[in-house]
Amino acid sequence: MKRTRRVGELFAGTLGLLITLGISFLIAIVLIFLLSKDPLTTIYYFFVGPFTNKYYFGNMLNAAIPLVFTGLGIAVAFKSSVFNLGGEGQVYSGALVATVIMLALPESSGYLGGPVALAAGLATGAVLAGLSGFFKMKWGTDELISSFLISSAVVFIVNYFITGPLDDPGNSMLATYAIGKQYRFLAIFPPSKLDISAVFAILAGVLIFFLMYYTHWGYEMRMCGLNREFSRYGGINVSTFVVLPMIISGALHGLAGAVAIMGTYHVAVKEFSFGMGWNGIAVALIAKNNPLGVLPAAVFFAYLDAGAKAAMLHSDVTFEIAAIVQSVIFYLITAQAIYSFLRYRKRAPS
Amino acid sequence: MSSELYLQMRGITKLYPENNVLANSNVDFDVRDNEIHAVVGENGAGKTTLMKILYGLVQPDSGRILLQQREVQIQSPLDANRLGIGMVHQHFRLIPEFTIAENVVLGTEPRRWGIFFDRDRAINRVEEVIQRYGFTINPRLPVARLTVGQMQLVEIIKILYREAQLLILDEPTSVLTEQQIHKLFVTLENLRAIGKTIVIITHKLGEVKAISQRVTVMRKGEVVAVRDTAEVDERELSRLMVGKSVTFQFEREPVKPGRVVLELREVVLRQKGQDRPLLDRVNLKVHAGEIVGVAGVSGNGLAEVEDVVGGLRRVTEGQLLHDGRDITDLSAVQLRQRGLAYVPADRLHRGSSLQSSVMENMIISSHHDFLRGGVFRQKEVEEFSETLSSSFSIDGDPRMPIGTLSGGNIQKVILARELASNTDFIIFSEPTWGLDVASAEFIYAKILEIRRRGIAVLLISSNLDEILALCDILVVLYRGEVVATLSNEEKLSKELVGEYMMGLRDDGGTQA
Repeated sequence: MKRTRRVGELFAGTLGLLITLGISFLIAIVLIFLLSKDPLTTIYYFFVGPFTNKYYFGNMLNAAIPLVFTGLGIAVAFKSSVFNLGGEGQVYSGALVATVIMLALPESSGYLGGPVALAAGLATGAVLAGLSGFFKMKWGTDELISSFLISSAVVFIVNYFITGPLDDPGNSMLATYAIGKQYRFLAIFPPSKLDISAVFAILAGVLIFFLMYYTHWGYEMRMCGLNREFSRYGGINVSTFVVLPMIISGALHGLAGAVAIMGTYHVAVKEFSFGMGWNGIAVALIAKNNPLGVLPAAVFFAYLDAGAKAAMLHSDVTFEIAAIVQSVIFYLITAQAIYSFLRYRKRAPS
Repeated sequence: MSSELYLQMRGITKLYPENNVLANSNVDFDVRDNEIHAVVGENGAGKTTLMKILYGLVQPDSGRILLQQREVQIQSPLDANRLGIGMVHQHFRLIPEFTIAENVVLGTEPRRWGIFFDRDRAINRVEEVIQRYGFTINPRLPVARLTVGQMQLVEIIKILYREAQLLILDEPTSVLTEQQIHKLFVTLENLRAIGKTIVIITHKLGEVKAISQRVTVMRKGEVVAVRDTAEVDERELSRLMVGKSVTFQFEREPVKPGRVVLELREVVLRQKGQDRPLLDRVNLKVHAGEIVGVAGVSGNGLAEVEDVVGGLRRVTEGQLLHDGRDITDLSAVQLRQRGLAYVPADRLHRGSSLQSSVMENMIISSHHDFLRGGVFRQKEVEEFSETLSSSFSIDGDPRMPIGTLSGGNIQKVILARELASNTDFIIFSEPTWGLDVASAEFIYAKILEIRRRGIAVLLISSNLDEILALCDILVVLYRGEVVATLSNEEKLSKELVGEYMMGLRDDGGTQA
């Protein structure tokens, strides 16, 4: 009896997501009919556009890569019931630090500089988020607030470096000098920007899944996430598991920034990473915090984005209209995911 | 005094399906107009559930409520307030940073222009209530600066502000000092004198005699007696509350107690914001192969002994010793490493993680034994849980969430896990609370079996039958103090222990 009810609940959760998806697509279609003079073309490019050629398709997948990393970062934190809302700043500063390293290293260091830059980006995110975890452990500061505040402050510092000391006067954008050729990831699906880091993203998903479900750190994080009282009773050092999930979460965000620079952008453009952090939360929520679920969820998000871009290029839809349609879908799905997440947390004793 | 009935509850039945506890079984409960009516009973007797039903916090499965002969529907506390019913909860519901006036008007704030909080009017109105009932307290004071007795007064003012005619107080004296209790009683007397009707839930029989006109005694979800307080003495009430001895007959073969395994020395536990210590110089020794029972009515320090010995709460003063070594400052993590085994009273929140699988629940304290390079050896974990499941006959798939199991099976999982550790002492707290007879007997048999193995057992329980059936030594707590240490022999009667538990005796008992 009880077992079938549980399965039912799980099914209801997935079904709920599908229904929301259907409704949001319907609203999007209605909006397009209202706002576009040629609604059928617009609808075609909005939903099918990303699959019409190799360039669009590859770029869509490429846009999913940073979302996989940030989505994983959020999933690890949420699974442990800690909240990292500093994703934006962690991605952005991770990207900057990685860029600085690559610009500073002499050409003679060769390919070795790549891993160093990746590690530096990762460490930057880890330190920023880890600080919030540490404050929480030490003084009980709410990590949700502190991570958000630290991140917001860091954005301005990064902006200063990109537009100030590191600014490339030869580039018309507000951006740093470009990183050396030897640091750039191999493109694997030309003419699109999709590069080898897609493989890293998949590996990261598998690795985090393994960490969460097969190792004792994962077990301890999950147990603390589900029931801290039980964990403390059972002899787990619960204060550690406020800090560790934050560190891992921050590290994945920092990595997202570094990977985006080395794979796609090659220069750190002012505010280039905006949205990667917040969208990571939505991705994690849609994936129900399952590390393997993050992969398709990130692709889905990228798909919506790519559809809007394709519609803009090929029909009379302006940027604003595309953004409105896209937001309707984003908000509905995120709201549904948050709703089921909150309901799940409500059932779990804190 | 008019003896007209103010409140009638008829045939109230409430079953909590989660743990299959019949909290109220066809309960009839009457309160006369303008009386102070005490409701007494051991914990789990159903008093609080009955009051929650009256206050709209819990919906009964069946039964009717009549207020002044008119049938009423109470779906929520808001309904209750509208009908003139107010409740002071055992744990205060106040916001420490707010002033008294702000706390009192919370939810029905006077407003200026419909949107702004009108602080002056709030203070005036609350001041008016304070004057009318003859209290002396400044409504501008922040609640954080009040004593516990004053906070309780704020709770009372809160319900008087909402024009309550019937006041329910849930164990109002459990956190108060003697003087504060005296003051409270004067207040309640005054409120009655001006026409209020009061229901007071309590464990303390002296208080029943001191304050009430009538008393309803509950036991195991049923009303067992309704008396005029003047015509009943405390001993009779005590007997009515604990009931006849249910004789669990177990063979407790005499064991010569070994070394002292666990010792509490002069343990004091204080809590911020409470004027009375929760544990007051508690001394206690558990020898190898001995079961020491800690008995008492809840709210008298049982839960605190559990927390302290389980390493989840630091003592304020005094020492804890394990095998003669000081373990006072060890954390739960370190205690686990020393082999602490512990079956907690709160098995659904502390003892298990309901959404995790049975398997994950089984390895919480031992999961480090299943690792190779930080990675679980899945096969060994599975074998371990299969072994525990079959030796404790736990039904169900170990991969399913433990929350899908019955209460009895959840307790078996906890028991299996704790007994699997290689330990020389184990704590049981309320091990059979809410369980059916078969599960309880299974657990009793296990406790006696580990006693035979020479393990020191500390059994904390408010169930006297259980304590008397199992224990070698019995320690009775009353208001955080050890009022008796008794050796459990033939002549030890349930009535006598009951009297210690209710605070009717404090001669220290026959020293064991």
